[in-house]
Amino acid sequence: MHFAYPPRKSSNPPPYLRAAKLPGLRRSRLKIIAAAGFAFLVLIYLLTRPTRHAPYKSYAPTGNPPAVIVSVFDEMKYDKAYLDLIKDNRIQYAAKHGMLCYETFFPKVGDYDIKGAPTSWTNVVAVRHALTKFPDCKFVWFLDQNAFIMNPDLTIEEHVMKPARLEGLMIKDYPVVPPDSIIKTFSHLKGQDVDFVVTQDKDGMSASSYVVRNGDWARFFLETWFDPLYRSYNFQRAETHALEHIVQWHPTVLARLALVPQKTLNTYSRASKGVEYQDGDFVVVFNGCTSTQECDADAHRYVYRWQSAFKST
Amino acid sequence: MSLSRSPSPVPGGGWSSPGLNISTSGRSSPTRGYSGANGTPVMWESARQKRAGDSGYPSFSTQNKGFFTRHMRRLSSSLPRFNAGSFYPDEKKDKPSTGSWSGPNVPLLGRLRGIMARMGRKMKIRLMILLLFILSIILFYSTPLVYYWRRTSWLGGGEKFVIILAANVGGGVMEWKGAREWAIERDSVRNKKKYVGTWGYDLEIVDMSTKKRYAHEWRESWEKVDFIRSSLRKYPKAEWIWWLDLNTFIMEPNYSLQDHIFSNLEKHVYRDINEYNPLNITHPISDPFLDAESRSPVGDGNPNSINLILSQDCSGFNLGSFFVRRSPWIDRLLDVWWDPVAYEQKHMEWEHKEQDALEQLYTTQPWIRKHTAFLPQRMINSFPTGACSENGNDTRIHYDKKDRDFLVNMAGCEWGRDCWGEMYSFRELSYYLNRNPWERFKEDLVAVIWYKLTGRKVKL
Repeated sequence: MHFAYPPRKSSNPPPYLRAAKLPGLRRSRLKIIAAAGFAFLVLIYLLTRPTRHAPYKSYAPTGNPPAVIVSVFDEMKYDKAYLDLIKDNRIQYAAKHGMLCYETFFPKVGDYDIKGAPTSWTNVVAVRHALTKFPDCKFVWFLDQNAFIMNPDLTIEEHVMKPARLEGLMIKDYPVVPPDSIIKTFSHLKGQDVDFVVTQDKDGMSASSYVVRNGDWARFFLETWFDPLYRSYNFQRAETHALEHIVQWHPTVLARLALVPQKTLNTYSRASKGVEYQDGDFVVVFNGCTSTQECDADAHRYVYRWQSAFKST
Repeated sequence: MSLSRSPSPVPGGGWSSPGLNISTSGRSSPTRGYSGANGTPVMWESARQKRAGDSGYPSFSTQNKGFFTRHMRRLSSSLPRFNAGSFYPDEKKDKPSTGSWSGPNVPLLGRLRGIMARMGRKMKIRLMILLLFILSIILFYSTPLVYYWRRTSWLGGGEKFVIILAANVGGGVMEWKGAREWAIERDSVRNKKKYVGTWGYDLEIVDMSTKKRYAHEWRESWEKVDFIRSSLRKYPKAEWIWWLDLNTFIMEPNYSLQDHIFSNLEKHVYRDINEYNPLNITHPISDPFLDAESRSPVGDGNPNSINLILSQDCSGFNLGSFFVRRSPWIDRLLDVWWDPVAYEQKHMEWEHKEQDALEQLYTTQPWIRKHTAFLPQRMINSFPTGACSENGNDTRIHYDKKDRDFLVNMAGCEWGRDCWGEMYSFRELSYYLNRNPWERFKEDLVAVIWYKLTGRKVKL
């Protein structure tokens, strides 16, 4: 049976309003509940996603101390009095600088196992050790044992590593190993990208005074330099020739290297091998001396000069 | 006449007041007042209006009372209809049936139209949404859309991965390739191309025969370094580069690299080589001049510091299948990987050339160890039973189809084993393992039943 028309609605109002089973479940509320449920599921998805780790960033040193001076002392070969004089020079210089004093770090030859390689290899590993001991330092300055810091007014950050200053100092597009290496220093290098500042003397690269900026690159560079296969290779001038080798064969090293004039931080006491020290220069290295007597004689030519310079400032 | 209570209202709307309306019968039950009758009771206005509408019917409704009366229409309209048209076949010809009277003889389209016509508006919208949803899924998976989705870096992230396949090993002009060598290369390349196409990665096929260029420099087999470098330059969006030797076969093309390894990198890799250490490398390095991170067995523990992932086989590092991540670190590694001083001292010992050089670097350089991680070999580099077989089958090394290993590397098959035979059998095994449900149904069920019934094997 079909009705032709739908039955009419009763005009009798229901005797009383029927209470809804769940008073909150109105149509509009249902939508809100559905949206909340969806949001909840999204939240669960986001929370259970594989965790994202922070992208890798190397540790940023805070700059305390700003720089560390590293010198390796050979107590077996040199007299204690002579070495104490050198130490005193470093410590006085370090104490003079700023609110944050420079640190000094004096390991001894024999502190490290260098597997029978020449003792001068200790210099490289000592710098690496300085990075471990002072992870917050900005720069590590390696200075040879047989050297004096002559000018207490100059600092590593300002005199050498300041980007603007460094860009002026850099020797660009110049053979890294004189006279005729085909590998030349980069000509488009910015001051803040330089991690390693080194000088050349007449023989080639000089490892008696150089600055390394603390960071991942420094660790890579120093550990590569200290490679056992380089130590066992019998380079004629041990770590200095190994450095020349790395710089010429590995562009990632060359790309961070700035060659600066010797006058900046590595003047010599004898003019035969390189630029000679003049008053006002930062450093004097007693190049070519091999025993306490020779070195001590050199040292005495300069000791009063730096002591008076330090007192006057 | 006194009443114990007031009288009930009369359904007709009147007020039965026995005192006013004295009928002779003396009934006091509610009665309907008849119009026109003399003794009409007092009529309320509303009641009168109502009466005017339905003349003569009782005012209490008989409609909408029971379940059937209420739902009759809905029930009857959903019942199957038996069209009267079947009784009058002649009539049907000139008058095609409309949707509302479709019967079993009506074509499908007409019947569908009938269903649509009877459907509510809301239902139609819902169905439409469902259909659209299904359609968009089908469209997504059957068009290149899925490829671009998987490729885009912020969606699937496929363009962050580049596969380098070393082709033409030992080939080139001087060494003629035979039919088998061509077949191996064709299969290997096709396998990787298909994989790359599925997941939106990039494939770079490099020609190892250019090694001649390095002959005067003693650099054979360090070309890897140059190819990785040039690929990093060629694909600037690539984050990970996966090096694959030619004699490899991706057994499970439906594993994406993200799901298989990189989404959960820290769960899959191990950084402490002591977990599996066939070379007996002392780990961690304990030199006192190193910082805590370099002396830690797991580096800094953050999976984002991993820049090199490789696996170890029975004799140490294996570079048949390894990953490198774009980073300053990898530039340094690629730079120092080949060093003339090291090569000059070691080339007699370095039988596997660049592989041994890497082992040497890993052993002596803390900065390399910090950023290197290992994957269990069977995650990316399973061996067939012929390789590393001195100590029998090893569950850490050899392929097992039950575990559906990702990739097979037929390492060393050119030394006295049958490369093409292995490649062919693994290819067929991969197809067999990755049959689609329909093929499985045909081959695993229908063909088997048929075989049981008739004793004959069929190929469906």
